[in-house]
Formats: sequence, C-alpha cells, structure tokens
Amino acid sequence: MSAKGNGNGTSDGQRTVLICQGTGCTSSNSEQIRVALEAEVERAGLADVKVDFTGCHGFCQQGPIVVVEPEGTFYTHVQLEDAEEIVRSHLVEGKPVERLFYRDPVTDEAIARYSDVVFYKKQKRLILRNCGHINPENIDSYISVGGYEALNKVLSSMSPEQVIDEVKKSGLRGRGGAGFSTGQKWEFCYRAPGNEKYMICNADEGDPGAFMDRSIMEGDPNTVLEGMIIAAYAIGASEGYIYCRAEYPLAIKRLYIAIEQAEERGFLGKDILGSGFNFAVHVKEGAGAFVCGEETALMASIEGKRGMPRPRPPFPAQSGLWEKPTNINNVKTLASIPVIIGQGAEWYSSIGTDKSKGTAVFALTGKVANSGLVEVPMGMPLREIIFDIGGGIPDGKRFKAVQTGGPSGGCLPASFLDSPVEYESLAAAGSIMGSGGMVVLDEDTCMVDVAKYFLSFTQLESCGKCIPCRWGTKQMLDILEDIANGKGQIEDIDLLIELGEAVKAGSLCGLGQTAPNPVLSTIRYFRDEYESHIKWLHCPAAVCKGLVKAPCSHTCPAGVDVPRYIRLIAEKRYDEAVAVIRERIPFPSVCGYVCFHPCETKCRRGQIDEPIAIRALKRFAADHARTDGLGELRVAPPSGKRAAIIGSGPAGLTAAYYLAKIGGHEVTVFEALPEEGGMLRAGIPRYRLPEEVLDAEIDVIRKVGVEIRTNTRVESLDMLREQGYDAIFLAVGAHAGVKMGVAGEEISEVVDCVSLLRDVSLGKKVKLGEKVAVVGGGNAAIDASRTARRLGAKEVTILYRRSRDEMPAAKEEVEEAMEEGVDMQFLVAPKRIWRQNGHVRMECIRMELGKTDSSGRRRPEPVADSEFDRAFDTIIAAVGQAPQIPGEMGLAIDKRGTLHVDLDTLATDVEGVFAGGDVVSGPASVIEAIAAGRQAAISIDKYLGGSGVIDEVLAQPEEPQAPPEMEEEEERGRPEMQSLPPGERTKDFSVVECGFTEAEAIEEARRCLKCDLEEE
Amino acid sequence: MVTKEPTVLEEKKLDTVTLTIDGKKVEAANGATVLEAALDAGIYIPTLCYAPDLKPYGACRLCIVEIEGMRGLVTSCTTRATDGMVVHTETPRVSQSRRTTMELIMANHQGDCLTCAKNQQCELQKIARYLGIEQEHFDRLRKSTRVLPIDTSHPAFNRDPNKCILCAKCVRACHEIACVGAIDLAFRGYDAKVSTFGDKPILESICESCGECIEHCPTGALVPKKVKQAASEVKTVCPYCGVGCSIYLGTRGNKIVSVRGDKESPVNKGGLCVKGRFGFDFVEHPDRLTMPLVRKDGRAKDVKVNGNLRDVFREASWDEALDLVAEKLSAIKEEHGPDSIGVLSSAKFTNEENYLVQKFARAVLGTNNVDHCARLCHASTVVAALAAFGDGAMSNSIADFAKADLLLVIGSNTTECHPIIGRTVRQSVKFNGAKLIVADPRSTELSKLADVHLRHRPGTDVALLNAIMHVIIDEELHEKRFIEERTEGFQELAATVRRYTPEMAEEITGVSKSDIVQAARLFAGAGKAAILYGMGITQHTTGTDNVKSVANLLMLTGNMGREGTGFSPLRGQNNVQGACDMGALPNVFPGYQRVDNPDARLKFESAWGCSLYDKPGLPVTEMMGAVSQGKMKAMYVVGENPMMSEPYLAHVKKAMSKLEFLVVQDVFPTETAVLADVILPAAAFAEKNGTFTNTERRIQKLNKAVEPPGEARPDWRIVSDLANKMGHPFDYESAQDVMEEIASLTPIYGGIHYDRLDNYGLQWPCVDRLDPGTPILHEGKFTRGLGKFHAVEYQPPAESVSEDYPLILTTGRVLEHWHTGSMSRRSEVLNTLNPGGSVDIHPNDALKMGIVDGDLLSIASERGKIETPVRITDETAPGLAFMAFHWRESPVNALTNDALDPAAKIPEFKVTAVKAVLAVLDRAAQDNEFFARLAANPVEALKEYDLTAEEKAAILSGDVRRIEKWAGKLDERLKTWLVARLQQESW
Repeated sequence: MSAKGNGNGTSDGQRTVLICQGTGCTSSNSEQIRVALEAEVERAGLADVKVDFTGCHGFCQQGPIVVVEPEGTFYTHVQLEDAEEIVRSHLVEGKPVERLFYRDPVTDEAIARYSDVVFYKKQKRLILRNCGHINPENIDSYISVGGYEALNKVLSSMSPEQVIDEVKKSGLRGRGGAGFSTGQKWEFCYRAPGNEKYMICNADEGDPGAFMDRSIMEGDPNTVLEGMIIAAYAIGASEGYIYCRAEYPLAIKRLYIAIEQAEERGFLGKDILGSGFNFAVHVKEGAGAFVCGEETALMASIEGKRGMPRPRPPFPAQSGLWEKPTNINNVKTLASIPVIIGQGAEWYSSIGTDKSKGTAVFALTGKVANSGLVEVPMGMPLREIIFDIGGGIPDGKRFKAVQTGGPSGGCLPASFLDSPVEYESLAAAGSIMGSGGMVVLDEDTCMVDVAKYFLSFTQLESCGKCIPCRWGTKQMLDILEDIANGKGQIEDIDLLIELGEAVKAGSLCGLGQTAPNPVLSTIRYFRDEYESHIKWLHCPAAVCKGLVKAPCSHTCPAGVDVPRYIRLIAEKRYDEAVAVIRERIPFPSVCGYVCFHPCETKCRRGQIDEPIAIRALKRFAADHARTDGLGELRVAPPSGKRAAIIGSGPAGLTAAYYLAKIGGHEVTVFEALPEEGGMLRAGIPRYRLPEEVLDAEIDVIRKVGVEIRTNTRVESLDMLREQGYDAIFLAVGAHAGVKMGVAGEEISEVVDCVSLLRDVSLGKKVKLGEKVAVVGGGNAAIDASRTARRLGAKEVTILYRRSRDEMPAAKEEVEEAMEEGVDMQFLVAPKRIWRQNGHVRMECIRMELGKTDSSGRRRPEPVADSEFDRAFDTIIAAVGQAPQIPGEMGLAIDKRGTLHVDLDTLATDVEGVFAGGDVVSGPASVIEAIAAGRQAAISIDKYLGGSGVIDEVLAQPEEPQAPPEMEEEEERGRPEMQSLPPGERTKDFSVVECGFTEAEAIEEARRCLKCDLEEE
Repeated sequence: MVTKEPTVLEEKKLDTVTLTIDGKKVEAANGATVLEAALDAGIYIPTLCYAPDLKPYGACRLCIVEIEGMRGLVTSCTTRATDGMVVHTETPRVSQSRRTTMELIMANHQGDCLTCAKNQQCELQKIARYLGIEQEHFDRLRKSTRVLPIDTSHPAFNRDPNKCILCAKCVRACHEIACVGAIDLAFRGYDAKVSTFGDKPILESICESCGECIEHCPTGALVPKKVKQAASEVKTVCPYCGVGCSIYLGTRGNKIVSVRGDKESPVNKGGLCVKGRFGFDFVEHPDRLTMPLVRKDGRAKDVKVNGNLRDVFREASWDEALDLVAEKLSAIKEEHGPDSIGVLSSAKFTNEENYLVQKFARAVLGTNNVDHCARLCHASTVVAALAAFGDGAMSNSIADFAKADLLLVIGSNTTECHPIIGRTVRQSVKFNGAKLIVADPRSTELSKLADVHLRHRPGTDVALLNAIMHVIIDEELHEKRFIEERTEGFQELAATVRRYTPEMAEEITGVSKSDIVQAARLFAGAGKAAILYGMGITQHTTGTDNVKSVANLLMLTGNMGREGTGFSPLRGQNNVQGACDMGALPNVFPGYQRVDNPDARLKFESAWGCSLYDKPGLPVTEMMGAVSQGKMKAMYVVGENPMMSEPYLAHVKKAMSKLEFLVVQDVFPTETAVLADVILPAAAFAEKNGTFTNTERRIQKLNKAVEPPGEARPDWRIVSDLANKMGHPFDYESAQDVMEEIASLTPIYGGIHYDRLDNYGLQWPCVDRLDPGTPILHEGKFTRGLGKFHAVEYQPPAESVSEDYPLILTTGRVLEHWHTGSMSRRSEVLNTLNPGGSVDIHPNDALKMGIVDGDLLSIASERGKIETPVRITDETAPGLAFMAFHWRESPVNALTNDALDPAAKIPEFKVTAVKAVLAVLDRAAQDNEFFARLAANPVEALKEYDLTAEEKAAILSGDVRRIEKWAGKLDERLKTWLVARLQQESW
C-alpha cells in the first residue's frame, strides 16, 4: 500500500466501511450489502462513517469481504443480514463481530485484521497494490494514493528514451507469459520507423481459472491506463487499444469510467498535462477466443478479422496493428509501470531473482485451502505459495502436483516444491510461468485426466490454422480419451510424446507450441499413472469414468465389489454380502478387522460429509454372517500339478486358496513359524485381530484342500523341485527388523519391533521395562507402542523424525494410541544409545524439515546443537522391515533388499518360481498382500496350464437396478463406532473396536451413493 | 498466452541474395522466401498451403526446414531468404515432423482416392507419396469418424469438407484474389472449417462464383460438378467482356471439357470470372445453328425465337443460301442503290471478320452503311476521346489500375460488368492503399469499398464533374504546368466550370456539396489517378459531353500519359475495340482513317481494287429510321441482335419486319434472326482462329479448339464466300491472311503478325515488326498534339419524370449474364445461377406502391410495356428503378428511349421515365375504370374518386367480396394488395 494512505480518507477520525464489489463478491450480493450498510449507517446516525466499495481483494473464496478502516478489520462471508450487526456492534458499540472474522485454515484461529491474515502476510502486493483499497470508479481515490504521479513525472521530466531506459533497468519482463524484457520491447517499437504507432494492452485473459487481469481492471483500472499512457509516450503512440474479453463486463465498465474520468482530468486525450503529448484509448471487446491472447491474433481481431496468428517476423514492433509499429503489453506489465517510475528502477530490481525481477501474480486455485489471487516476489518457492499463503492441501490429502501457466503449462510433482517461481526455473522443469495460473492438485487427481482436461481446452481453442495444432491436439486428445477409457496401448505413451513434440515444434503460435505441455509434463513425471491406466485398467486416483465404476472397488487392490455388498448389508443379507467379498478375497473377516481401507479414501460420499465406513461394514457382515460365504463347496477337479507355497501369510494363503479351489492343483504351504498366518498372526496384535477370526478363515482355506506345514523352513528351491512341485510361490514376507543405524543399538534393551510383536503374538513371555521408547512412525511403531502399554509399560514414547503430517501410520490408530497414553515426539531422531545406572540412555537430536525428497515429503534434517538425551528401560526399533531371503535360492534381489520379479506376472528370474507380497513390495498392507496372492494365483495357474481365471461367482447376481437419483444428499456423517474405553484397553489384548450394531450398520450402508449404478 | 518476442532484422538492400540450400549455392531475388528460392533452384519442398499468387500463410507446416542459426523448425514459406543463409531441407527432424503432419492430415482425411475427382492431381496424394508415408506407421493414429455434409448447392461445383485440409487457399483466394470474402474459416479447434457467413450453403452466400477457390484447392474438397480430364489444351481468349482474359480450353473428342485462366497473362494473371469459368457450355447448346436456313414462302416475320424454327424456315445448302443472298443483295443494290443496304458487323467476332464485313460493305456493296454495337456503348467515347486526345481508346493498361494512388469509377459497375478489372480495383483498394471514389446512382460492390460514394442522379455527370473541377481550380489544385505545356482550351473550361459551384451541383445531382469537395480534393491530391468509366457515362444524349468532362478532369490534374493514370473507358464486348479499329463504323476505314479523307480512300481503293464512296454511312441507330422511311431495303446482320439491344424495340421490330430482305448470320437463332429471310450458321469463338482486341488495345490470338457443329462456318469464310459469289474475289485461305492485309493497310496495326501474338499479344499502336506495342498512350505528347479541354455545359436527359411516369429507369448488366443473353442464357451454370430478370426498386418506392419482393410488376414507358418480377433493394435510390437488358422474357429495351447523342448517335439507355405497377393491377386496369385510376396513380386518395354509393360502401368496409360484385373477380394478389391499400386510406 502506498505511503499516502488507502485513498479513503483516514484523517479526522473518519471511518470507512469498504465492501468488495469485484465480480466474485458482486455475484454474492455485495451490492445489496453495501446498500444495507449505507442504510444502517444512516439509521445509526454515524456521520463520521463512510461506506464505499472497492475492487477485488483476490480472496474471493472468503467473499463477500468487508473491511473497516482505519483499524483494518477483515470480515469474510458477509451476508445481507450481517449489515445491521456490523454497524451496531462494531461501529456503534466498538465490538467487532468476531463470528465474521477470517479463520486460519491451519490453526483455526479467528483473525481480526487484514494484515494478520497469512494469505496476505507473505504476499508482496505491487501490481495489486490498490486492489481492494480504493474505489475503482473514482479517479480521485486513485489520485489520493499517488495515482498519475508517475505519468506526471514522465511527462514533465523524462524523455521517451529515459523512460525506456528506466524500464530496461528495472528488469521488468512481460507478465503475459513469455517474459521478454519490457524495456527492450518498447525500444524496438520506439526505434521502428513511422509516425503512426499503436499501444495495445492485452487484457484477453483466457486461461480457465485465471482472473488476475480482470481483478486489476476491476479493482484499479487507472493504474492500467497510467501504465499504458507512459508506454505510449515512450514508444511514440498516439492511439491505443485495450483488448478485453467481453465476458468481463465489470472490467469493461470500469475501464470506460476510468477512461472518461482520465480524459476529464487531462490524463488522456490531447496535450496531456500540457506536455503536447496526445493519446487516445479505445476498449476493444473480444469474443472470448483463447488464441486472441496471442498478440498477432489479437491484432487481427482488432482489425476486424478472424483472430488467427500470423507468422513472425515481421514482429509487431515493426509491423503490427494495421501494419504499423505496435507495442503490446499485458495488464500486469502495465500495472507495474507506475510503481517502477514512482519508486525507481533500482528499488524495483531489488525485488525478485537475478533474472526475474519484481513480483508475479498468480491465481492460486485447485486443492488448496486458500484459493485466490496471490502476488509474491519472483523466486518464492512453490512450497511457500502453496503451503503458507495457500494454507496447504485441505482435508488432509496429499499434495500431488502443481500446474502452472494455465492450459499451456505443465504439471510439476512434489520434487519441485522448492523450486523458485521464475521464468527460467519453471521452463527448465517443463512448465511455464504463463500468465499466472497455478492449480494445485492432490492425491485424488488423476494426471491422465488433468492432461486430458487441459488439452481439451487448448484443442477447442486452437484457431485451426496449423495442422499439427488443429489435428495433432485432437489426435492426442483421442489417445488420452482411449487411455482414460481403458482402450490405450502401451505404445500410445510414446506416440503421445512424439505427437506432442511434433505439435510443439510444428505450430506457428504459442498456443500450439505449448498445448502439449500438460501431456508431456505428466508423462514425464507421472508415467506410471499412464501405464497403470493402460496395463491394469486402473486409475490410481479413481477418477477416469471409463475405468472407474465405483471409486471404492476401483481403489481396492483386490477389486472387491464394495457397493454391492454394502447394498446387501442394507438389506440385511449378510451371508450374501460375505459371499460378494469372498468372490475376490479369501479373508473377508480379517479385512473387516484390519484392512487399511484405501477404498474409503476415495469414497465419493466423503465429498459430501464422511466416507462410508466400508471396513467396519465389512467386519459387521463377516461377524453377522451365519455361513462362510462359500456356499456349497466346489473345488475344481485335480489338475495333476503341484504347487509349493513358501510362507503362510495373506499372500501365500490367498494364492494357495485359489490354486487349490479353482485351479485344482495340489498345494502345499510351508510355514517356518509354529503357527500359520504369517504377519496376520505374528505381526498384527490381537487387540486388532482376534485369533479366532484368523483361525476361522484359515480353516476355510484348509477346507478347499490346501495343506499347511508349519515349523517347516524351506532353505532351497531345488529341494522342493525334487519333491515334485511344478511351481513355487515365494511369499515369505518381510519379517526382519531394520536397524536404526545408531551407535549402541546392539544392546539387549534395544529390541526390534517385528520380533517383539511376533513373540507376543506367539505367546512368548516378553518383558519390557516401565519406560519404553519406540523409534519410528509407521503402523508397526504404533502397534509396538500399544502392545508395550498392554505389556505394562507405564510410559511409552514414540520418537519420529518427521512431523505428524508425514507419519505413514494410519490416522485412527495414531489417535487410539494417544488415547491409550502413548506420548509422541515429532521431529526427533536417535543418535546414540548407552547403558547408564540400570537404564538405557538415548541421545536424540531435533530435526527440521528441509527440501522435498523423492517421496514428495520433506526431508528431515538435524538441527545443529539440539541434542538431548533421555532415559528409558526398553527401546523398540520400528524403523522398517525387510525380507529374509535365503541366499542359496539364487534369486535376484534388488537394492531395497526385496525380490526382483516381473511385476506383470510376479515371475522371478528362475523358471517356475514366482514371488509376491512383502517380499517383493517391502512391508505393505494385508489387502495388498492378498492382491499379490491373487496375481500369483493367476500367473501360476497359467503357468501350470490353467486358464488363469480365478474369479468365481458366489453370490446371486444382482437384479439390475435403476441408477440412483441425483438428489441433494443431506449431510450426515458415519456413526461413531463403539470401542473399549482407553482405560480398559491396556489391561489385556481384547479387541478395541466393538463393531457396529445392526441398526448402525444398516444406517451406514444406506449412506452409500451407489456410484457403480450411475449412468455414464 | 505465450508469445515470442521480436528480434531486430538487419535488411540488406540487394537485388539478389545468395544462400546455400542443401549444400547448393542458390541465387534468389531479394524479398523471395526460402521456399521460393528453393523451388526456383529446382529443390522440391512439399507444401499444401503455399501458392505463388497468395500471401505467405504458414499453416500446413510441411515446408519446414532447418536454417543454421535459427531456432527450431522454420516454415520456409514465411521466411525471407537472406544473404549467406544456410538451409537444410531434408534433415531427420524435418522429415520426421513432415511425416507426422502428413499422417495427421491423412488420419483426418475422408474419401476414397479412386473415386475422388482429384485423383492423380491431388497435392495431398503427391506429398504422401513423396514422403513415403507407411501404412503401418500411420495405423497408430486414431482415424476420424466424423462425416460432414457436402455442400452441393452450387450448380457448378461441390464443397466436400471431409476432404478439406484447411490450407485456407480457397479462403485466401476469395479474399486476396477475388476480394469477395464469401468464405472464411469458422469455428475453432477440430471443428474449424471453411464456412460461408452463417454456415449457409455457398449458393446463399455472397459468392460470385469466380471459381478461384476451386482453382486453388489442392485436394478434392472443391471440385467442379462435371469433371473430365482434358486430352489437350488450346490457349485462346474468353469471348465474354472486353477485358479479354487469356484462357486455356481443355478439349476431349470435339468437346470443351475444361477451362482455366492463363497464369502468365498480364490481363488476368490466371483469374477468371463466373462467365469465363463456367459459361462456355453454350458452344454445345442444342439451339446452335447448323445449316443455312431460308424462310419458307409466305411466312410472316413475327415468330417468337423459341418457336419451332422449322415451321418458318427450311434448311438449305450453303450454295443455295449464298446464291440467294448474293442474288437478292445484288438486285436491291441494282434497283435502289448501294445505300439501300445496311450492314451490321459485330463486336463479338474477330478483327479479321470485322475487317472483311466492312470491306464487304464498302468494296462489294459500295456503301459506308456499316456499323456495329459500339454505337450503343462507346460511340460517345470514340467521338469525345478523338476530340480530346486524338485516340478513341483506353489510354493505359489494365495493369496500371494496380499502380494508381486513386481510382475514380464513374458510371461503371465494374465488379459485375468487367469482373477481372473489378477485382484489380478491389485489390488496389484493399491491399495497395489506393483511394477509391465511386460515382454511381446505385450502390455497387465498389461503392461499398469507396472512400467517397457520389450518388448522383442519372444523367447529371457533367454537372458533377464540372463541380469537381470547379473545386480543384478554385482551390488551385490543378496541374498548372501540365495544362500549360500539354493542353489547350483551359481558359474556356475554367470559365465554364466557374459557374458549377458545389452548391449548384448539389441541386442538380443530389450529391452533397461536402462530398463533392472531398472527392475533388482526394482526386487532385492523388499523385496518380485513373478514371474508369462505363456505360453510365456514355449511354446518354450527353454521352459525348460526359466523356469530354472525364477527359477534362484527367488533363486538369495531369493524369494522362503516365503509368498508373489515364483514361479508361471499359469496353463492353470482347472485341468492340477491335471492331472499331477495323472500321466497322460508317465514317472510317480500318485504323480510324476517315472515309472522307481522299488519301485514305485512295489507299484502300488501290488495295481492294475498287472505287469507294466518300460519304460516311448511317450509324445503326439511324438505319432503323431509314428503313422506316423506306430508304433502306435490305440489311445484312452479322452477329448482332438489334432486336434486343436497340432502344425502343417496338420501333426496331416494325422496321426490321418491313425490310425487303434481311440476312442474319449468327451462332444462335436470335430475336433478330427469326425475322430474317436467310439465316447463315456461324462458328463460335472456340471453333475458329483470329484475333480479338481487348479494352486495353491488346490484340490477342483466338485459337481453334473444336470443330463447328454441322455445317456452321467461321464468319470470315462466309463473308468471303458471299463476296466471291457477288463477283468480288475475297481470296483468303485463313484468318492469318486477312491479318496480313489488315497490317498492310492499318498503321496502328502495322506490326501485328500472328507469329508475334503467341505470348501475350501486342497493344496498338504497333506500327511495324520492331514495335513492341504501346501500353501507355499520350506519353509526352497527345496523339492529336495538345490535349484539348472542351468546356461543356450540363444538359438534362432527354426524358424526365412526369406524373404518368414517376420513376427513372436505368439499365445495365448483371455478373452472370452478358448482353442480349444469346450466349450466357444458354449456359446451364450461368442460367441456373441467375435464371431470370427482375427490376430493382427502392424499399421506399415499394412501400408506396404496396408491393413486396418478388411481385410481378408491369413497367411501362411511353414506348412500351413489359412485365418482370421486382427485387426490392436499397442498392438503387428512391425514384430510381434498375433493370438489366439480358432478359428476352422482359426486354427492357422495349422501354428505353431512342433519343440520340447528337454527335455520337448513341441512345440514352440510361434514363427512361417509367411507371411501375403491380402487374395484376395493371391487367385489371385494362377494363375497369376504378383499377385504371388506381393503377395510374396508386397514391391518389380514393375519396377523390367519383364512386357510386354501393361502390363507396364496399370500399369503405374493405370487403373484397363486395368489391368483386362490381369490379369483377379479383386475382388473389390483387385482393391482398387492395386490402392493404384500403387500410392506408384515410376517409
């Protein structure tokens, strides 16, 4: 804000109530609110209060916005009925209306003052300096904050050369996107021969979601005019055009008002300010063609022709509008000019980076808490814009990518979060600055879908002139559609790259030259998502309609038909519900207790209120079914082939089940431990998964003819072959604890989490001390901490080197652990362990989050000299698990210590030997292990001569149902599930969760939106 | 939006530049593009959107090359070749990009090559083959399944958007060459397509059917409906207007199967109009005369042209027919003297034939009674220009219109009557920055483009031009030095125009004085100005004065004898210039050598071996009078159709029917031919050799492409045979023989020999073999020495509006038809595009008359009456009606005034006082007093009528049934008209 005040007369104790009348707030009745405020002020007889309006604050999400000056009170979401209260309470009684204060999305704190809102605090508003502070329809308001002083200075004391020189020195680059030096551009035009020259302001803001130019024109139109007049003076133009799309009626109206008022004051027209310089401005309304943002197309449009680009050279500076030398600048570029002239080039160039000076305005949108217009110094890292100003990703979702530069820009993954925002860095990363669109994408965004969206925009907006742009983008779009519909070929990815490069290289104008960027950058950074669509017909974000019937079942690694069994639960048909689940997995009950339910994260109900409690419903169905869901037991006739499965965890047993039941193979499962179940038995504590539940499901597996040999460790594959096994499935899991890598961890008080949990599960006596530390942040760490509490530890502390947000453990389990009295210390890492006075001491060091690593999370880095130490009795290391693969098996092992397989078939390098589950993926979830078991069963069955089809029909096929009616759903969350009181829990290993009552379950099942029945 | 920024280009001023393309040193003209440089050097670069006659466009992206020092792939069609540039046209990147682009096009291209009209001639096919597009590679792409409707609305061609590749050549040709803009690109992205305004069928657009789009289309998207590959091509000259476009006729068997413009021609540069492109099927029309016909004994001379000729005529052998003609003419000459015979030559046939016809009249018949239709179009030009400059022809060349700073178009609807010149005017205005002033009572395509449109009343040209000159002299904008050195009579002119103040002119012409002043300043301010005019100037009783005023204005501003300036009468018929040059005029021998000049006569007497008459003969407009008076007994009409083209047709018909003997020689049984005693079948333009002289005095060669039908013969052969039969040997083996004789006797044609005409012809004067011809007359010196100003006073037209005839009717032509329509009305495409006549009436007048668009009107003048539908349009002015004279169903010359310009004997076609009423009203008026009153004065108040109480009551109630009781049964249209009319009445 200018030192001169805010333009609304803060002297004499006068107060001003400013209501935003930008397009956003106006659409929420801000005009009526202003009238109401005026009426209330008059009714209250407040002579010293003035009600006025401003342009956009750039925080439209919070609109309608009312600011009371001079105190700077910031009211958000103001409604018509609030006018009375604001006037009475705030202006008369001096009590600001707290319920209308802005609430910080991170801290949830109510913030009274404009200047304290984080969204604004980190911004540097030069271009938007007056937006929201002055009345855009009153030139005096602009003049009172120093408006037209720059023009006066230029006309009274500077030659055109000096102006150009000043702008050159400022380092200002075109804010339209290409970033060419503004001063140099002016110079070309200034030097071009000819008396008739034109100055054009490009206000054809066409990017979807971008509204910075509009806001400037609506909020501070005079600054655009002032910049334009100065530019015209510098290049020697006496006529100018503002090319503004007709979809901006308010901007156009305010431009006309500004022009008229500027003419009245002698800032425009003949002999401006007595200098002899003449300049007239016309507003040309564009018809909303994106390509008209391209300068040659824009000029064609002004000339009354179809807006199509023409080849350059000649450049507009030589031959532009009506073939006369012409200079075109973007609204934001021009809005920067009065500041540069006013404050000087040197001051301006001190802002920003080496090559990119000044500030940049972004329209920050997408999956970000604070969306709106953001102006920051060039070079600010993306992270600060997104996470500080933007308040991060809402709903606890994970950041996936940011798309900058509008539809012509690219998508950058998390690894670029620390990149500075400036022309060169963005270009190097495969995106562009563009005119300043910034769309934040979270984990629920499909990158193929994003590419498709942006490309469909540019494809539609192509003027059609160049063949590569017109037909290349269409061809690319067709391919993307195919991929999104599951009709893609793996070769299509390279074809997209080839076509994208051809379109970029072969197109005449910026539109075509950049249109493939969203596709190319998503392939560059998210190729796996494309492959997933093509190879697995799987959309990881569960977005692509052609592949995803219901996001829950699509997201389920085993593809369980969730909506169908939920409907059956709603109808109290629990046996059938279990049968539906059993069609895809042999562990309905286990999953009902322990699945980490990725299905729920994508549940569409979550967009209304809360996701359906799918896992709890599954458990309810399994608990309440009277049968195992198998119906009449059918086992395929013997195939005469034999399969050996090493490991009786979920992967091994799943594979065994299908190979025996559907393949008809003779299956033997070898288990090294005394009891079967693998991690289900030895890893998951009983309070989560009761033994009888597991036993019942393993019994079913036995029932289909699987033989399980416990206490049998297999050391060599050859031995199995000798025993006549035709195929071997290695599913030994990841049962070895990973060392913390700190000095002293070998002492006996330091135990590894996996061993601890295994010993406890297998009924071994385990003795822990009173003070227990658990190092790590995963599910195993939580399990260990809660187990420790149950084993009698008084104080259990989890030490985790990152913050809670990065913790991989399931949120609800973290909460349950805390309820059970587990203390959590974040940003702490162990450094050294030693015995002292009968205790164990551990030296720790505080951490802070630094740059983003390849996982997209910020890397923890030690804080120098922050070491401290604490005494414990036992330290549990829960920093990771690794497979133990006997070396003599001669299998290829990759860098992470996992087995190397062909991910399409799970085949190892050794003929007839397959592997899956944690031994391949590293420690993962039960459902992922089951999915691996299914995949292995398919591959092995095929290998053994079967069809590889393992799906079976166990439940009655559903009667065709009408698509759900699209009515407004009432908001109602899921029922709170009863669980043991925290005090009770730690006494023993009883199951914590009590499960739904029947009434709760049916109620919950009815919340399902039945996405799978929706018509396409 | 991302944009790239300029880099400053240093431009060297060189005539040529040298660059390296694919390792080869190549020289190119400075300003040439890299593509042009390569193509000139024989290095092929594929392209779909480049055309040498269109501006660089850069859309197809196939002509990309790599240029050292330039980033990325550069389109060679938009990049200027510069000195030292190193270009690579076939790098792997270039090839890859081209192939991808081609694959994209082909994936979106629908249609089967084998059934495509463009097969083998398709650029797309050619480039696909050149790039070696592989099926396997191409199969990766998604094929378009979109099928768009084909526009078949146009009678001559189809538009198939499925075969369109959006190279926009058609659009650019329409904008840049035709300057029409009937089509443009519309919609965006994949939906982008070539579209008319509102995406309507092309026939409903402003398309002028010139076919430049088809000519430029590289694929089968725009193809003629009837396509046949020509077996061979003959270069010849278009037989329509006086522009004289050079064409190639493609033939197969004995048929014309294709036409294309000659790209090398300086006249049309490959361009053609709708008539030249689609109007040659008349040659094969079944109406063609194929045998000599002799009137059966006792058959009256009033049969309609479309009646069965065989009822009236019988076929005869050439010998019999020619013997009969020779015998009859000899007998009449013998009995009534040579001047009892009149000969009409034709502006439609060749110089050689005109020469022979006038020679036949003068040498064989012994009369100077020879004339042709130039009398009806530019007689006044010839008279006035000879007086002012000493030459009766256009002073400069068509190409000069592109070089002028200002063009004044007066009395010419150039884009319709001389489309290829009209196109040049449009191009000059749109692309060369030329100013344009149009003086025309009607709004025309050019007036819409004009800086000033002077919409003067018909027949007030002298007042208008005098006022313009008044302003120029008053403001001292005239070229004093030019006037002093090169002209005479300025003082008299200045004295006369002094009285023509803009105020006075406004009174006379209806043009605001400010427009007059603006036009004067613009005209005088132009460095190079040319005046184009047509029949709007010449066809007046003051035609000669009008032309003199044009000449005055040009000399006053020094716009003569220089490039880009000049006097440009736009000649109407293809060879009207040649017919005049050849002496098919009553007062001059070939080359404007006067018959009353003894030296000239002596020369021709000795050459032709006979004595020649020294008194000028009768112009065609006076022949009719002579026939009526019984002084003229016989006429030999060769290729003319006075029964359509002369004014006051009733009079003409009466006269023609009265002739003792009439011979008509033509290609069709014209309105005149059916009155003949003997009809001789002639060959059409495509069936003979000879020369035509176009409006810019360019003598061009006509070459035979097909054989004439039946026994039709070239006119030169028929005339020669007849002369031989009449005892005067015309011993010519070929048209070329005739030209040799012409050259020997006609100084301005002295250097014209067939062997010199093969390229672009020669412009006369061309006095000997070494003379390259004369593109610009009066350079340095006028032909007559000093240019002469003629002080001319304004005279009103012969006829003005009256109570009985409250409208002024003016006549002209339309784009699709030509003259009396004997050719164009027999062309299927032309006649489908514009099948019938109409009269243009201004909406204000239409409102007064209570008529709606399409109503059949009865138009009457003092001399006749016709019926024609009305077209209500503000292209005409209030009080002004317009009709073209092509329509035999409603021949407007039945109405026109035969009042003549005293010097040039040209009739005043352009101003006729007429009345127009609804035809059904007019018919009802024949036998009903009430309707007669209404028809005579439709706006008169009905209460003034003397009506019975019953009649009054019926009218008052507006009850048509009751009116019918006393008025008789009324036509439906008359009923609605009457009801509307009665509602207007205020009792």
